[in-house]
Amino acid sequence: MLTKRIIPCLDVKNGKVVKGVNFLGLKDVGYPPELAEGYSNQGADEITFLDIAASLEYRQTTLDLVSETAKRVFVPLTVGGGIRTAQDMHAALSAGADKVSVNSAAILNPDIITESAIDFGRQCVVVAIDAKRMKDHWEVFSHGGTKPTGLDAVEWAQKAQDLGAGEILLTSVDADGVKKGYDLPLTNAIADEVTIPVIASGGCGSIEHIYEVFTKTSASAALAASIFHYNEHTVGEIKTYLRERGVAVR
Amino acid sequence: MKIMLADYGVGNLHSIKKALEKNGASVDVVNDMKKLLDAKCIVFPGVGAFDKTMEMLLPYREIICDRLLSGVPALGICIGTQIMFESSEEGKSPGLSIFPGKAVKLKAKQIPHMGWNQVISEDPLMDGIADRYFYFAHSYYCEPKNKDMIIGETEYEGNIFPSFFRTANVYGTQFHPEKSGDSGLQILNNFINFAEDCI
Repeated sequence: MLTKRIIPCLDVKNGKVVKGVNFLGLKDVGYPPELAEGYSNQGADEITFLDIAASLEYRQTTLDLVSETAKRVFVPLTVGGGIRTAQDMHAALSAGADKVSVNSAAILNPDIITESAIDFGRQCVVVAIDAKRMKDHWEVFSHGGTKPTGLDAVEWAQKAQDLGAGEILLTSVDADGVKKGYDLPLTNAIADEVTIPVIASGGCGSIEHIYEVFTKTSASAALAASIFHYNEHTVGEIKTYLRERGVAVR
Repeated sequence: MKIMLADYGVGNLHSIKKALEKNGASVDVVNDMKKLLDAKCIVFPGVGAFDKTMEMLLPYREIICDRLLSGVPALGICIGTQIMFESSEEGKSPGLSIFPGKAVKLKAKQIPHMGWNQVISEDPLMDGIADRYFYFAHSYYCEPKNKDMIIGETEYEGNIFPSFFRTANVYGTQFHPEKSGDSGLQILNNFINFAEDCI
């Protein structure tokens, strides 16, 4: 039976893993390769590495850091942040990423999804969607959840799938950093419409939130950051909790 | 153990290279497929698409096939296993045809089949692995004509599909041992020991 995945996320800025609420008050929590190795040893099913600064001058530094991280983990590593072209994807894969996530670039130029799926295989193309609740739908926001795009999140997810995405990394802009739980209606709206796996992200503040997203939605994976960075729970503890309550985990 | 790792030119060979090296193998990454004819042991990695991969291997298809069927130990991973079959629904090119049969699209609601799933297998390559969960990321799976070549199976959405294969000294996995944590490292270690015994 396919198990539900737990994915610790490293938000990386200037070479450090940082954590803040709504991108404010960012605080250093550690060196990415070290944290990644620790989570991998705890039983993380994957590691996600997001370069949240993603400025050009840090590009090579970031790739070096990806490469150092990849050396230390033997589970899949997804890299995102600042990926603009298929060449950027190739550079990230060559540095040791197993999958690459694209967000704003795919909105501006959806062909990047198809190109990279053909070149590298669709299983390594993750389309990241930041969605914010409007009156009667969810709208896609680009540039780190700051710019409205006018796109409907459900329609965009379907389109991304049709273009060749292998997976959707879905972050709720409303829930992110608030630690009140994943956005379940949003997760359901997307996960019920697409046939590719959906990773739920944004809002995890407790072990119960992870249980909730797996039992109340059809998300394939749950991504979380602060619960791990602040040593509130280990991946192992979360898995024991889920297993005891009948959720299939590795 | 000296292992040749076939590089089809699409990217990430880090995972498999470092996983083999961690188990004491010395890895030679080759992008000229002709070199595979001199290999003592070959790993066909799991990155890329069927036709693009076969494009590089086609000129040497028969001779690679002969070498493998005459006892050179080899391991295919994911697409590296699928190309060892006669054909695939993913592409138009013929495969290496080491395994009679073909790669077909998964019968499931959610495709790709992505994540950690269990492999039920009694093969000695699984020795020392307790939980047998491995990482999968694929949309196609292999169906050999000869069922004796299936040495492991996996359940997905209520269906059982073959996920582990062997003929002669050639092993094929549908899963990715190089991304499967300790279980994956152990199976690679077992494969390296097996390959050493073949020589």
